[in-house]
Amino acid sequence: MTKMQDAQNRLRETVKDLFAQQKVDLVVGFEAGSLPLRTRVCFLTSADEADRLVWNAFCTNNPAVYIPRLFQRPASPREEYKPPKLGIVAKACDARAVHKLLEEHQAPRENVTIIGMPCRGMACRDKVVIQAGDEVVEAVESTEGAVEIKTRGGASHRFELQDLLQQACLDCPQAAPEHVDVQIEGASRRDTTRRYEGLKNFEAMSADQRWEYFRHELSKCIRCYACRQVCPTCYCKTCFADMAKPRWTGAGDGLSDVMFYHIGRLMHQAGRCVECDACTRACPVGIDLKTFTRKLGKDVERLFDYVPGLRPDEAPLLCAFEDDDTEEFVTDG
Amino acid sequence: MSGGATTSPYLPSAVTIEKITIENEAKDLRTFRLAFCEEADAAAFSHACGQFAILSVAGAGESPIGIASSPLDSGYVEFTVKRYPTGVVTTALHAMEEGDQIGLRGPYGNAFPMRALEGKNIVIVGGGFAFTTLRATIRWILHEQNRARYGNVTVIYGARSPGELLYKDELKGWEARSDIDMFVTVDKGDEGWTGREGFVPTVLQEVAPSADNAVVLVCGPPIMLKFTMPPLLQLGFSPETIITSLERRMTCGLGKCGRCNVGNKYVCKDGPVFTFKEIQALPEGAL
Amino acid sequence: MEKGIIGKSELAKLVEAMAADATCLGPVKDGQDTVLAELGPDTELSFDYANFRLPVKRLFFPQSEVTCVLRDGQLVALPPPDEKTVLFGVRPCDAQALPYLTKIFSDEKYEDPYYLKRRENAVIVSLACHTPCSTCFCTSLGGSPAGRAGCDILAFDLGHELLLEAETEKGKALLAAHEALFAAPTDAQVTAAAEQGAAAEASMAKIETDGITEKADQAFDAPLWEEIAARCVACGVCTYLCPTCHCFGFADEQVGNRTQRVKCQDACMFPLFTLEASGHNPRTTQGQRLRQRIMHKFSYTVKNVGEIFCVGCGRCVLYCPVNIDLREIIEEVRK
Repeated sequence: MTKMQDAQNRLRETVKDLFAQQKVDLVVGFEAGSLPLRTRVCFLTSADEADRLVWNAFCTNNPAVYIPRLFQRPASPREEYKPPKLGIVAKACDARAVHKLLEEHQAPRENVTIIGMPCRGMACRDKVVIQAGDEVVEAVESTEGAVEIKTRGGASHRFELQDLLQQACLDCPQAAPEHVDVQIEGASRRDTTRRYEGLKNFEAMSADQRWEYFRHELSKCIRCYACRQVCPTCYCKTCFADMAKPRWTGAGDGLSDVMFYHIGRLMHQAGRCVECDACTRACPVGIDLKTFTRKLGKDVERLFDYVPGLRPDEAPLLCAFEDDDTEEFVTDG
Repeated sequence: MSGGATTSPYLPSAVTIEKITIENEAKDLRTFRLAFCEEADAAAFSHACGQFAILSVAGAGESPIGIASSPLDSGYVEFTVKRYPTGVVTTALHAMEEGDQIGLRGPYGNAFPMRALEGKNIVIVGGGFAFTTLRATIRWILHEQNRARYGNVTVIYGARSPGELLYKDELKGWEARSDIDMFVTVDKGDEGWTGREGFVPTVLQEVAPSADNAVVLVCGPPIMLKFTMPPLLQLGFSPETIITSLERRMTCGLGKCGRCNVGNKYVCKDGPVFTFKEIQALPEGAL
Repeated sequence: MEKGIIGKSELAKLVEAMAADATCLGPVKDGQDTVLAELGPDTELSFDYANFRLPVKRLFFPQSEVTCVLRDGQLVALPPPDEKTVLFGVRPCDAQALPYLTKIFSDEKYEDPYYLKRRENAVIVSLACHTPCSTCFCTSLGGSPAGRAGCDILAFDLGHELLLEAETEKGKALLAAHEALFAAPTDAQVTAAAEQGAAAEASMAKIETDGITEKADQAFDAPLWEEIAARCVACGVCTYLCPTCHCFGFADEQVGNRTQRVKCQDACMFPLFTLEASGHNPRTTQGQRLRQRIMHKFSYTVKNVGEIFCVGCGRCVLYCPVNIDLREIIEEVRK
């Protein structure tokens, strides 16, 4: 039995326990997907469903995105509010997102049980496909740290997970999920030394070059809003981009409107984005959103010594100020 | 309308606001009397009771509004528009003045089957500002060209309060006539109100119009329709003889954009007029 | 001219000749992707691709376009673009979708001039797929990797050369106009193309779709919609990448001192799609919205225009961020 399968079994047993002890009545986790290199989020309502849960290098979705919806109050005040007792399977980034949402009152703390997973990082689908050079038709995480695939053309490959890691995992500020309610035993990634390495190219660009890169990437945008919809901390009932009154930005794919939407979203994410890269994975046209979110995250960390969701007791970034906060943005006087 | 230029079903015709009537106390219901700027557009426009048109305010957008004037009211078309604070177009419309120009495209949708209703008794039940196309229909029926073709006409119309009643002068005129039975009610009266008090479904049960050789045209907010259907059925009306107008958000008016799609019907094209039987056959609990 | 063979090395000449009176677009490598891009004299065509990420419908039904502008206080309609185009490398699934869209944008009463003019001005040269993806299921919906519906010319990649077969008068005219660049195909080449098509078809897994409309109607109130939609995040990926989805809306915008009315793609999957000014929304749950999209494709359009609005291109399967799989939905519905 592989160590990942160990962790998977421990997760299943833990979830069964949580149901048995009635600590949860709903568990959000991952189960097998219908495509190679994918899993999908599942919603379990009883212990006998727990064996659907999987834990492997393809558990890339951020399940925290479902929290605002699951804890939504009914439209009518006369309807009884019955929030779930939620158990949520979480990687480190997912746990940071959960804490951000708890901080923003999207769920009562006592209703959420964070199940921290031993996360060694997730495989980036694009990296696998590039290295395989062909459509992947089968993928298995065979032993801990290796991914074995078969291609459409019949070739077999074995890759080391550390060569396939998503940028989000390389940049992860945590060695393992923290501030969780239950921790599933197992080895986590532990390597936080490569944080922001992926930004080197972007940071080496001049302001004009960065602007050109930003424009180039965003010119692909089709306004599908996948980035916004998979983001755990984007949960406004009516997004500013959809408002008619005032009409902040046009609805079409004209570059100016597209950039206004993305700049707006990025700014709304400042101090809140947990850099899970769900937006980048979701984008159907391959916009390099993670470079922009990461740069923003790095600026926030540098200017305010703040990493969203890392220290749940801290005040939210934009809701507090200190007298010694930086004023380097002040250009005059 | 630019001659020789692109014809597009999305282009509205220019109309001038000839007259604005503030219909209610809250001042958020106004009737706009519109006249086409171009002769050709006026000549080409011909509508039937129950149809709607799309009013256009350049810079704000478009809004589908039921036609409140009768096809026999010549030289103009009338619309009674409710202003929603969140509504960009209705707010823009309410800010306009007599003499201003807006756009109109239509008429769209199907109509009340007035031909098929000839020889029948007509019961008209309306609630709130859904009464607009019913008003068009009443004007049509009462026209001297048409009245003789229909049997008894009974109207039950209710608003939340006396100030919210639409077409107050017209209502008085109809109440004075002998060829139409008017039952106007309000949910709650005020000091000056000497008329009926009661919700429309209740008044309907009190008036108890006969279902014999009769068809009922009923328009109102979803909640009113929900409570009006059972008494209608109890009175002996059948799902085929209950005719209503379905509400959905509409955009193109042409059955293309998909927004008003319910089942395999488009409210803008196959509706908005449907019999209750047709609505029962639609999925999604269409009311 | 009905059929012609052209060497891949000669294609640049053909493109140059066609570019004299039409804008030519074709498959061009862009990093790891292949996109449908304008072809210049030196643009290298790619033949090593499954499909474009974005559906070809966007050439006729763009994400946004200006339909009217305010001029001297009056709204005037903008004319649709009148440029001739040749689209090369369109996959048969995308081509199959175009006649479906035409049925929507042109009916007995109203015609959308923007869609129709663009379609009229375009010559579609499909490129048959020799290696369909595992997520493709066109053959389950009346299509084929060598399908001829919706295109003007069907091309086959025979390795060093392409076999072009005209399907419409427009296609014949294009081939005839550039006759000199083509050779008559040999029997062997025609056979090779047919065999390639057959082999590609045979390589595809089929999902059962018989009776899907009736089954969908019966499944209207089934719990499966909410179950699947539990993970749907209500984005527009499936809709915007779908070759047959066509919902749209209008928005009036101010650009500088120009007031314009813009027609934009929209999606019934968005919560705000059916929201009324009064605040009432007939579809409040994502399950209702997901159901609407599926029912529209597999039941309502069948009843209205006689077609299932799905061509099995597999994009929604590949790109759904939460792995909602239409093939599974079809299977569930048919149970």
